[in-house]
Amino acid sequence: MENNPFILQMEKITKQFPGVKALDSVTLEVKRGTIHAICGENGAGKSTLMKVLSGVYPYGTYEGKIIFMGQEMKFKNIKESESAGIGIIHQELTMIPELSVTENIFVGNELTKHGLVDWDEERRRTREILKRVGLSIDPDTLIKHLGVGQQQLVEIAKALSKNVKLLILDEPTSALNEDDSENLLNLMRELKENDITCIMISHKLNEIAEISDSVTVIRDGHTVESYEVEAGRVDEDKIIRAMVGRSIENRYPEHESHPGEIIFEVTDWNVEDPEVEGRMVCKGSSFNVRAGEIVGFAGLMGAGRTELMRSIFGHNYGIFRGGTIKIRGKEVKLNSVEAAIKNGIAYVPEDRKNLGLNLLDSIRQTIVSANLDGITKKGLLDFNEELKAAEKYRESVRIKTQSVNVGVNTLSGGNQQKVVLSKWMFTNPEILILDEPTRGIDVGAKYEIYKLIHELADQGKAVILISSELPELLGMADRIYTIFEGSITGEVSGNEASQESLMKKMTATAGN
Amino acid sequence: MKRVKQVLGGDLRQYTMVVALVLLIAIFNIISGGRMLTSSNFQNLLAGNAYVLVLALGMLMVIVIGQIDLSVGSVAGFAGMVMAIAAKELNLPWWVAVLIALGIGIAAGAWHGFFLSKLGIPGFITTLGGMMIFRGGVIWISKSISVPAPVELKWFGSGYLPEWGPAFTGMNNSTLLLGLIGIAAFIFVQFRKYKGSKEENPLWAVVVRICLVSVIIAYFTWLYGSGRVGTSFPVPGLILLILIIIYHTITQRTKFGRNVYAVGGNKNAAALSGVNVQRTYFLTMMNMSFLAAVAGILFVGRSTAAGPADGTSWEMDAIASVFIGGAAVSGGVGTIMATMVGGLVMAVLNNGLMLMGVGADRTQVIKGFVLLAAVAFDVYSKKSGRR
Amino acid sequence: MKKKIIAVLMAAAMMSVCVTGCGGREGAAESAPAPATEAAAEEAAPAEEAAPAAEEAAPAEAADTSASAGEGFEDGATIGVSLPWLGTQNWKEAETMFKEQLAAAGYNPIVQAADQKVPQQQQQIESMIENGAKVIVVGPVDGTQLGAVLEQAKDAGIYVIGYDRLLENTTGVDGVVQFGSVKTGELQAQALLEGLEKVKGEGPYNIELFGGGPADPNAPNFFNGAMSVLQPKIDDGTLVVVSGQTDFTQCATVDWDNAKAQSRMDSLLSGFYSDKEIHGVLSPNDGIARAIITSCENAGQEIPVVSGLDAENESVEWVWSGRQYSTVAKPTDALVAKTIEIINSLKDGKGMPATDVTADNGVKDVDIYELPPVVVTKDNAKEVFANDPGRMELLK
Repeated sequence: MENNPFILQMEKITKQFPGVKALDSVTLEVKRGTIHAICGENGAGKSTLMKVLSGVYPYGTYEGKIIFMGQEMKFKNIKESESAGIGIIHQELTMIPELSVTENIFVGNELTKHGLVDWDEERRRTREILKRVGLSIDPDTLIKHLGVGQQQLVEIAKALSKNVKLLILDEPTSALNEDDSENLLNLMRELKENDITCIMISHKLNEIAEISDSVTVIRDGHTVESYEVEAGRVDEDKIIRAMVGRSIENRYPEHESHPGEIIFEVTDWNVEDPEVEGRMVCKGSSFNVRAGEIVGFAGLMGAGRTELMRSIFGHNYGIFRGGTIKIRGKEVKLNSVEAAIKNGIAYVPEDRKNLGLNLLDSIRQTIVSANLDGITKKGLLDFNEELKAAEKYRESVRIKTQSVNVGVNTLSGGNQQKVVLSKWMFTNPEILILDEPTRGIDVGAKYEIYKLIHELADQGKAVILISSELPELLGMADRIYTIFEGSITGEVSGNEASQESLMKKMTATAGN
Repeated sequence: MKRVKQVLGGDLRQYTMVVALVLLIAIFNIISGGRMLTSSNFQNLLAGNAYVLVLALGMLMVIVIGQIDLSVGSVAGFAGMVMAIAAKELNLPWWVAVLIALGIGIAAGAWHGFFLSKLGIPGFITTLGGMMIFRGGVIWISKSISVPAPVELKWFGSGYLPEWGPAFTGMNNSTLLLGLIGIAAFIFVQFRKYKGSKEENPLWAVVVRICLVSVIIAYFTWLYGSGRVGTSFPVPGLILLILIIIYHTITQRTKFGRNVYAVGGNKNAAALSGVNVQRTYFLTMMNMSFLAAVAGILFVGRSTAAGPADGTSWEMDAIASVFIGGAAVSGGVGTIMATMVGGLVMAVLNNGLMLMGVGADRTQVIKGFVLLAAVAFDVYSKKSGRR
Repeated sequence: MKKKIIAVLMAAAMMSVCVTGCGGREGAAESAPAPATEAAAEEAAPAEEAAPAAEEAAPAEAADTSASAGEGFEDGATIGVSLPWLGTQNWKEAETMFKEQLAAAGYNPIVQAADQKVPQQQQQIESMIENGAKVIVVGPVDGTQLGAVLEQAKDAGIYVIGYDRLLENTTGVDGVVQFGSVKTGELQAQALLEGLEKVKGEGPYNIELFGGGPADPNAPNFFNGAMSVLQPKIDDGTLVVVSGQTDFTQCATVDWDNAKAQSRMDSLLSGFYSDKEIHGVLSPNDGIARAIITSCENAGQEIPVVSGLDAENESVEWVWSGRQYSTVAKPTDALVAKTIEIINSLKDGKGMPATDVTADNGVKDVDIYELPPVVVTKDNAKEVFANDPGRMELLK
């Protein structure tokens, strides 16, 4: 066992669901004390593989062998894999917001003395573990008062408290801003030094390139390739080629823009935080968008990008404290979402599952849901019109599905996003606000979404694109505004901007 | 199996409760020696449960938006009592009394809707308050004494359709006409649908479907029409039928109906799609209490008097019907038709056990198990249906 | 597909609403012509004649509401008994006795209880009609709310006998067997007066009044009967109702609920008797009597003289031990025996037996078959229950 360099060997894992082979003889070997990246498009089988490993799918429901620390493992549930030393941090955080850090770390594993919870010991250990992940907060702080990045760290602390040997992180930075992401990556390096092996699932190739020691690429339930790399010198294009099975020369499609007149203009826009009195989330923001133009908004998480757009979209967020909106030179009052839609504005929210979709609806129901008037005849909904609209977008937007009658929950992230885009295209908007439209979408689908955005701009629509990924903004936008702490701090034309110049404006108030 | 699917159309799982209902009727009919499937028993079944089914119509929508209404029984009792008092003690004409009762229902619903939509107080609490307020109100205004209702109302609660026309049919001709119109309309709609989509809908399937449904309608027409002279398809049943059609149309074919499902499925996403969530809440709650008033009127009509305990625990029967019909506690899921089937399962169970002479105590126990079994089955089949 | 059914039915429904006109199946009905009944004539539905259904479930005999004579029916006929609930001893006894004695008399009894729910009782009676009952005995949850079903029973030619409570607001009732309820109230009040003199010495006496469930038509009668005895004594100052609550609506106990009575007594004691002693309480039944006594004990009062009704086992013990002064026995066996006697008379074709007493139920005058109740105190308990081994057990 001592000679075995591998902490984990998953051999020929095959997992079948009714009608689908999710994993087909996948092999994964992870060396002790390394950071191992797993890449693959959404639906490639990464998450399924991790669920097999952690016992979510118990032994017997899959074929193949799991050897962990030299012994074959037959996990029946998560509890067993945990006690063997495997911890998993899910993409969606699983903390209980109303409980304190201590309570969350020990939930389900409470330390007891004489049958009662031993608070002192729990707090002491919490402080210790928090120090290990580099967090200096009071163990009694409620989770809901922490930022997403801190919550992520607490989640890792919780795993560490259980003495993990192998830590699996599923898209750990997808909800984090640059700073927090950097923090997390540093933490992973430290863990590695402390002999904790990490498996990281990620879409962010730059992060993988930065820290991983080996990479395994999975596509359509098969292991495509697996090789060791040197952290900091990873060929991103090689990974992309393996992931999509083709080479993507340019991640952003070619496009020549033809901006027209200014059709959307926001002046001196002020919004107050609904929770914290007196705190302004938008301060005197002014910007404009031309027909056929793609305007990017860059800003760190929490800078107020989403808040600005949602408050414009029918006062959907915050308390309105003044400002004007002009569409084609005419001032409009958008007091409700309905009014905003009527005035030709569409907003694709960043949180697709919670804000963009009703997961109970079918594809056809979703596509017409923001414009039911468009299929209403004599006061009743016309299902033939609904079907016609759905089929039209299925074709033009290339939604991959057998039928538009199936639920949107059966679609992959990329196709769900296409459905959401179709839903807003069906309202026939002049101004489209896209808030992180490619979050959590794999590389291939991203490319298609980009092409779609270009098509919309070519139709003369004004497109506002919010993104946390600077390369995306640089690749797509004709003009970029930067936001910091609720204020617009800069405006740069797309071909003049660079990541560095944007980042500078995103982290400083105007004038600096 | 594929053929069956083509005839019935769509997902077969939605028919499980229908199958359960048919089996229940058949089993009870055998055990009770044919007393289940008689004209008078089916007339009673419908007339005696119309008020619960009317409540279930509104409750379905309330549960779909992710709320619950505990006040419906009390509101029904209150509306019925006000109606009886208005007619008896204020000497108002019966129809004025009915309008007052309906107005009270709408006002009560607006009250609940106000607290839910404007102040954001959860429906459970809003209507728990309403339940106490209106129950207390009934006892207060009635001084705990039953009040006789106007005689005209009996027609709504337990009346029958008129007899007319030729006698050779051997049936109540109103019922016969109802059945014939039903069959004709079904054929018409099927053929129109057939023209729309010929691929999924082969002609043979359409014909089989028409024959099947026609036989069913014909059987029930005969069952309801061939009872004692003077009886027919009961008036409360007819009122229920009209309400079912209206509410089925509202939920499936109107913008408001879609909004109800959207709000229940994902409130935030609905709001960002231009749905006025608060208005949807308000209207749904208002509609519920309006239907509660209708139910109260039907019940008083059948009881010939409004009593201080009217409506006690009716909300539970309505809620049970909705959940047996497959609605989700979390909202967003459920249909009018499935709810009606759920309500009928409860009604048939109740009726069948009584025919067998099973006491109220054991009936209650059995109904409890059926509710659990139905919902458990539903949850189970949904789980195994997806990975 | 379901949508289609609906669309169809909608059309159907709308059409049928438009349908008007008269006529019918008189000629076609295969059953023999039958005389019109009052009930049918009152129906809003324009059915001019109500003929008994030809199916075997319903009897083919003609129903005559005056019911002075009938055709009788065969041995082994079905008799339905619908009771309000089984939550108190007297109803549970009635259920057992009806089952045993009807079966012994050669009938096929269906005895059901409705759990205090009106709709439940309506459906039970309907299922009894469906089961071909010849006579239905009804102890109503609410005597006014069974109009439509009872008329339906009438139309099917079934005799309807009210049991223990009046059936109001309907023509569908042939007679009611009950204890004289006004008389019961008088007896309760007399026992109270007698007890006060005997136990509490010289007057004036502080008393409180309790009534029964307002939905039960007997409850006001009990109360009024009692007040006819007590009012003169209140007027002359022998009795003082300290709280001043002497209206039935003030004193009523919704649903005969003991818990409600107890909380009312609690608040009376804390509100009016912090510096006074309570000497007597008029209680409409035993459960409420015990609730009152418990409340007084909890408040540290000496046990007052309390009346009762029903001679429930626990109260019989309490009477025997002196905690409750009196109860009134309405022997269930007598009531059941009288009911079965009427059923036998109907079976023999002799119709409803004659009686002098009638009561106005709002629609018609109903024949009442009254039985006398019996006051029980510690002094006469052994005599009263001489033939009741179960209760004799308690007197030890």
